[in-house]
Amino acid sequence: EVQAAALAEHGEDITPARDRGVLKIIKRPGSEDESPMIGDKVYVHYKGKLANGKKFDSSRDRNEPFVFSLGKGQVIKAWDIGVATMKKGEICYLLCKPEYAYGSAGSAPKIPSNATLFFEASEDLFEDGGIIRRIKRKGEGYSNPNEGATVEIRLEGFCGSTRFDCRDVKFVVGEGEDHDIPIGIDKALEKMQRGEHCILYLGPRYGFGEGGKPKYGIQPNAELVYEVTLKSFEKAKESWEMDTKEKLEQAAIVKEKGTMYFKEGKYLQAVIQYGKIVSWLEMEYGLSEKESKASDSFLLAAFLNLAMCYLKLREYTKAVECCDKALGLDQDNEKGLYRRGEARLLMNEFELAKCDFQKVLEVNPQNKAAKSQISVCQKKTKEHNERDRRIYANMFTKFAERDAK
Amino acid sequence: MAVDELQAIIQRCQILEEADFKGEDFNLFQVAGQKCLEDGYAAQLLEVIQNEKNKVIVKNMGWNLISPLVRCIFTYKQQDDKREHCLKILDQLAQLCNPKELLLGLLEQIEQTSGEQVCQTVLLLLQPLQTVLLKLQHKKAYSVGLSLAVIMNQLTPLPVPYTKEQIQEDKLGLCQCCHAVVHFAKPFVNEVVKNMEKSSEYNDVELKEELLKFCMKSLEYPLLTAQLEQLEGIEEHPFRRFATEIIDILWDIRELVPLVFLHRKGKSPDWENQEFVDIERKNSADSLACLSYLVFVQHFGIDHFPVIFGPSYLLQCNMTHIEVLLKRTEESVLSKGLDLFESCLLRMEDDSLLHQYLEFRDFINVPQDLVKVMTLCPMEHLRKKSLSILQLFIDKFDAEGKYTLFRCLLKTSNHAGVEGYIIKNIKDQIHLSLTKVCDSIWFTGHHLISLLDLVLLLPEGAETDLLQNSDRIMASLNLLRYLVIKDCESDNRTGVWAALAKIEQNFLKPLHVGLNMSKAHYEAEIKNTKENRREAHSSNTVCSVTVSGEKMPAMTTEMQLQVLHSALFTFDLIESVLARVEELIEVKIKAGMDDN
Repeated sequence: EVQAAALAEHGEDITPARDRGVLKIIKRPGSEDESPMIGDKVYVHYKGKLANGKKFDSSRDRNEPFVFSLGKGQVIKAWDIGVATMKKGEICYLLCKPEYAYGSAGSAPKIPSNATLFFEASEDLFEDGGIIRRIKRKGEGYSNPNEGATVEIRLEGFCGSTRFDCRDVKFVVGEGEDHDIPIGIDKALEKMQRGEHCILYLGPRYGFGEGGKPKYGIQPNAELVYEVTLKSFEKAKESWEMDTKEKLEQAAIVKEKGTMYFKEGKYLQAVIQYGKIVSWLEMEYGLSEKESKASDSFLLAAFLNLAMCYLKLREYTKAVECCDKALGLDQDNEKGLYRRGEARLLMNEFELAKCDFQKVLEVNPQNKAAKSQISVCQKKTKEHNERDRRIYANMFTKFAERDAK
Repeated sequence: MAVDELQAIIQRCQILEEADFKGEDFNLFQVAGQKCLEDGYAAQLLEVIQNEKNKVIVKNMGWNLISPLVRCIFTYKQQDDKREHCLKILDQLAQLCNPKELLLGLLEQIEQTSGEQVCQTVLLLLQPLQTVLLKLQHKKAYSVGLSLAVIMNQLTPLPVPYTKEQIQEDKLGLCQCCHAVVHFAKPFVNEVVKNMEKSSEYNDVELKEELLKFCMKSLEYPLLTAQLEQLEGIEEHPFRRFATEIIDILWDIRELVPLVFLHRKGKSPDWENQEFVDIERKNSADSLACLSYLVFVQHFGIDHFPVIFGPSYLLQCNMTHIEVLLKRTEESVLSKGLDLFESCLLRMEDDSLLHQYLEFRDFINVPQDLVKVMTLCPMEHLRKKSLSILQLFIDKFDAEGKYTLFRCLLKTSNHAGVEGYIIKNIKDQIHLSLTKVCDSIWFTGHHLISLLDLVLLLPEGAETDLLQNSDRIMASLNLLRYLVIKDCESDNRTGVWAALAKIEQNFLKPLHVGLNMSKAHYEAEIKNTKENRREAHSSNTVCSVTVSGEKMPAMTTEMQLQVLHSALFTFDLIESVLARVEELIEVKIKAGMDDN
């Protein structure tokens, strides 16, 4: 176990001020690459000790992880700083000076004044901060724009206290990106009513994300605030309003749009476009043979592309579902099998992943990528077995010792 | 003989089928049984009930005996054999009777008592009640809830013992009763805990909900008004113990932490309508406030809480509760609010509370409530405490926060003493700004001038009641004197020199006028009073003053003169400071002109 002394000597200073107020050592690196962002809901398991080694708190004693919104001052400064540097699945140690913890006031009854705190923390998962909508003036009527509706809005965009955007704009919901409008606005519009004036607080995931928006001077992972007035809208045709011919025509257009978004890395927008194909065609009946073929072809492409998008968005369960659907249309589809294998591998389902990759090789023995993925599966399976063996081995030894007493 | 009558009805019913029991039979049984008890034949009645052959009869008709039974138990003395018999009968009934009917009988009995009888009755009937409820197996949730509700309803009108003597005496038995009720609830709590570990059955959610309701009610009564500090000479403080027990129950059913941080929960999935949630929240406001007090001030159950929360966040979470408590007038509740507020503030470092918190409505309401306590509460120790807490609150804010708070309180407090106190605080902040290396923009320059506009004025111009506002006026003059001394005209860091003309017009000139008028007025009054003294005491009193039903005696002339003279003294005081200030201003201006 790492002692506080080791942290003091070798720990990394993660404070913005570089005053060694919070020192960190990673015990086990995370499995993902992403760290949580401001406003995200974070789930952490931890153990806290005072300088004298006395434990003052542990989430395991409560049998549930501690949950909080990152970067909002809900927790001591050391945690807002420290947890923001942690990746999903990471375990680390933090040594926190009182200025970043409870200071001279302490925290009765457990934390004395001017206490340096020592934490071992593991980040279980985090959920994105999402979109918060505050209505300033209610709209009228009961209908909302749907995906694909044409909306006329007035918007003002703020980052911190700077206004970076102010205009009247007309666009199609789901394609706001084409007008430099973040996806959060598209999503919020679907809940707004005609004439509504509201304020939207967008977590970075629903704003401009990791790319930021250099055009407006927006840094990566910035929180944004928009004031939006929905002046008018015209709903897009519902699926049942379109006939098969229209749907197939639109499917082609929408597929191209989706691919364009995908190439630009706008996965959320791409999902919207491909999703349209599914909602139009998945339950379509009474198709002629020719129409049926075209429809299946669109659906297959849609499911496969959706799986790709979900892999990029790290929504692995959804990726598997889409692959299942694609394979339902074409059971030996190489891409479908491969992508499902990838998703399963990332969900740590090594045996199932290996099966998928092996099937890929059956369909296409030349697929080198599948071969290397199989060895990755085998390696991971072995690692996990080793770890389990170690845990269980100790457990039985401990029981045996206890019984012997 | 009563026993014979009883035997008669028993024999008749023994040969009947259960379904053939008629209303008449029930009546006869009850009357006969009652008579046995009243005539002192409890032993015989016990035998009848214990008789195996009578099992069915007792099962159906026994519950009717509860009322006379309880009456008898209370009439007999402790050592009396007959009382023992009655207690055994009660026990038997609990074992044998139809649980549903017996439950109603017991609850009816509890509901009919009042005053001194309540606790006695509850203490007597808790054991049979528990036995009956446990017999209900999986359908017990509603009945458990009903029982606890009835008991708490009967207890609520009873006064809560407050002083050490009252607690030790426990005249009505409330302390004893509370402890017994928790003990009564224990097996139900254990059941909920056990079922939580297995997969949840619908019924257990109900039982948990009923226990939660009971805890919430207990927090409101008796805990909200109980005295909960450690008391010297009392080993086991009954209400502290009760509080610990309630919190233990909440922890066991996994509701403790969620309740304390209720607003962190998202929309409850069980409620379709957000309105319901809001109404529930309002009704439970008192209970939740009491719970926060127990956790954060008395530290009951604090071991179960994460020690990670930032102190500003804890204050934010508790502001609603503090507001609820400070709006009350009972000492017991008000002092809890003050203690909770104090304990949250003491967790913070000075100057660490961001001014943005003042955007929350309760952060503005609570200091105003504090001012009300300071000025209106009849209890001196609470007035003093709230003043010290206000100072603590001010100290925790950053500079902009202090500034905003001062503005707010100057505008809303409507009390010269409070205003004077705030003005002194402003002076202290200016002093810090002028002597620190980095000065705050909030207490120098144009921000300060804007604040001084609220300070350096007479609210009603020359007609302001100088006596009533003397605290405030003295504080303002002292502030002005300080500024004039500390801030050189050439520096003008506070901006006071540039605003001098305005200050003279709005403050100094009207003050002169007011002083002259007031002095003249009071001198005339003194002259009148002295002249009136020579005349006989006229019995024509224009008005009289009555306090607490007693008419106050009319003031003697001596007293009147004393008051008038002290008023004059105050005016002199103000005038002398005013003169000093103007002198200083003149000197400085002259010095500045000479320099040029």
